[in-house]
Amino acid sequence: MRTLSFFSSRRRACQLGAVVLALGAVLPASAADLLDTVKARGSLRIAMEGTYPPFNFKDGKTGQLAGYDVDVAKAVAARLGLKPEFVTTEWSAILAGLASGKYDVIVSQVGITARREQAFDFSQPYTWSSPQLIVRRNESIAYQSLADLKGKTLGVGQGSVFEQQARSVPGILVKSYPAAPENLQDLAFGRIDAALNDSLMVAYLLKNSQLPIKAGARVGAVERMGIPFRKGNPKFKAALDGALAGLQADGSLKALSTRWFGSDASRPAH
Amino acid sequence: MALFALLREAAPAMLTGAGYTLLFALAAMIGGMAIGVPVALMRIAPVAVLRWPATLYVSVMRGTPLLVQIFVIYYGLPGIGIEFTPVTAGVLALSLNSGAYLSESLRGAIASIRQDQWRAGFSLGLGYGQTLVHVVLPQALRVAVPSMSNTLISLIKDTSLVSVITMTELMLATKEVIATTFQPLPLYLAAAAIYWALSLVFEQVQRLAERRLNRAHR
Repeated sequence: MRTLSFFSSRRRACQLGAVVLALGAVLPASAADLLDTVKARGSLRIAMEGTYPPFNFKDGKTGQLAGYDVDVAKAVAARLGLKPEFVTTEWSAILAGLASGKYDVIVSQVGITARREQAFDFSQPYTWSSPQLIVRRNESIAYQSLADLKGKTLGVGQGSVFEQQARSVPGILVKSYPAAPENLQDLAFGRIDAALNDSLMVAYLLKNSQLPIKAGARVGAVERMGIPFRKGNPKFKAALDGALAGLQADGSLKALSTRWFGSDASRPAH
Repeated sequence: MALFALLREAAPAMLTGAGYTLLFALAAMIGGMAIGVPVALMRIAPVAVLRWPATLYVSVMRGTPLLVQIFVIYYGLPGIGIEFTPVTAGVLALSLNSGAYLSESLRGAIASIRQDQWRAGFSLGLGYGQTLVHVVLPQALRVAVPSMSNTLISLIKDTSLVSVITMTELMLATKEVIATTFQPLPLYLAAAAIYWALSLVFEQVQRLAERRLNRAHR
């Protein structure tokens, strides 16, 4: 669940990005539809973080990008008849890069939020997931909701929707971390009582982190993930939505989701 | 041993990242010197028209975060039709930033050379430029080396900021490995060791430069 709200940052850089975006927004956008631009170029430039497994990450063996987002992006590009060109960049700068045209789309678990929709257009959602608690393996308290964490310390990603949700419950001591590895290590050390992250990521975390942690309850609303692109490209939106609908109809999305998450996250009820 | 296996797995990505870090730092050092020397000379120039743009430049570059400068150059300038590749934008931002600091080191060193050195030059019939080049600068450089080396060694670490413009230098490469291995501590320590090793090389260069410039003062 790509977590950054547009104006509150995971890192300082995002606010800078927002300033740059604001500057850019004053200037006229190019007239041609993005679809014509990418067709003429023959390739789709796709941005992702490359540090967010199992969604998108550098495979340790091959050094190549791998993950659910990578496979989805390749499948979408193929449906559009385009060659995928991947760019990895830090999350803090990723929306600024989209706004200034460094790439065409972001496929990196970008949550569809009202604020982001003011700045960008989104494809139809391609992933649904919800926040989930993570606790130490020997934890005796079974937290069922965020309200149960009052007076406890909860670790979240900086500027994430998880952070916003945690802060909206009074009494929780919220600690924000740059990324999941640091967050989980502090959880294992006992510096925090629980962590909150994407339910789709939790299974991967438990399998690969080798830390004494276990999955807790799912606690929040379901989030929808989409593919953002610059506003004012109706033809591109139609083609992108068509490609995603096709992948949904023929079961490709479901197959990719099952491969990476062990469950079908490609539709609302899961 | 798990730690050894982890570091061996991380090594190719991190060493490639370190290579980019080194390239960025070297390119920015050359760029920074190319900017810093003329700016320092402009700031001590007897003509006000030369002084004020240099003063403004130094003030802006020292008064704003490097991260903002990188952002503006890479993500902001395309809005007015100026487009750079990530490499160019990164080197440009680092050069412009370090150039300002280098010029201040050099200006301070020139100011430390006593006025009678200038007067001695003039009394021998040398012009402003000749006195500067043959009398003042050789002495000033010797004073400037330690603080200029500070700036250049800082550059090696400042390169980590270019990861926000899609460049996989050492820090981003390290984060990529941490993202899949969940072992922050040993990998951050390994990155720190690489930065330190790179800095040691430049400390050695500083030592050589100091020895060379001190020959006349032994």
